[in-house]
Amino acid sequence: MSAAIVLNLSHLQAMMLFALVISIAFGFLSRRKPVERVKYIVWSLFLFLLIGVGIGWAMYPFSR
Amino acid sequence: MTDATAAPEAPAADSKREVFALAIAVAGWIVPGLGHALLKMWGRAVACFLTVGLLVFFGAGMRGNIFTSGGNDAFDTLGYLADLGAGSFYFVAKSLETNGPDVSRADGDYGTRFLAAAGVLNLLAALHAYEAGRGRKA
Repeated sequence: MSAAIVLNLSHLQAMMLFALVISIAFGFLSRRKPVERVKYIVWSLFLFLLIGVGIGWAMYPFSR
Repeated sequence: MTDATAAPEAPAADSKREVFALAIAVAGWIVPGLGHALLKMWGRAVACFLTVGLLVFFGAGMRGNIFTSGGNDAFDTLGYLADLGAGSFYFVAKSLETNGPDVSRADGDYGTRFLAAAGVLNLLAALHAYEAGRGRKA
């Protein structure tokens, strides 16, 4: 199989994609009811992005 | 004094359930979501299959590093174990990534993390299916 899929994503896009997929998996594994799952996914996604961007800014002074 | 007549039944049933749960876990490891599907947890089965599949697809698309058994150091070995966690999807990733890894770019580095996360996530899902197979609240 020669798929040759090549994705060119920015740092932010890759992080958002990663956070979204992992949040969905966590939501489905840890909650039973659909409403609770959605809430968990949204909250988890928010925290992933907040902490990711926060760590990014925290490293900014040492990046050069 | 305790009742000795009812005691022998419980260990046999427990070991049978344990074997069943182990089989569920192995099935879930080999094919992401299969463990939950065998337990008729359809939503979780589809979610596991799709999320692990997407991580593998994107990881391979970003030309992440797929570790092999011939690693040079402990990090390579750990990466290999994480990648193996994806079960059969490890080989899907290998077949998708025909151009080989390219970690000289940020994409490739992210791809490596995506592939490792796919494996670890699948192990977590298999463990969840194992616990559900044992009858614990899941």
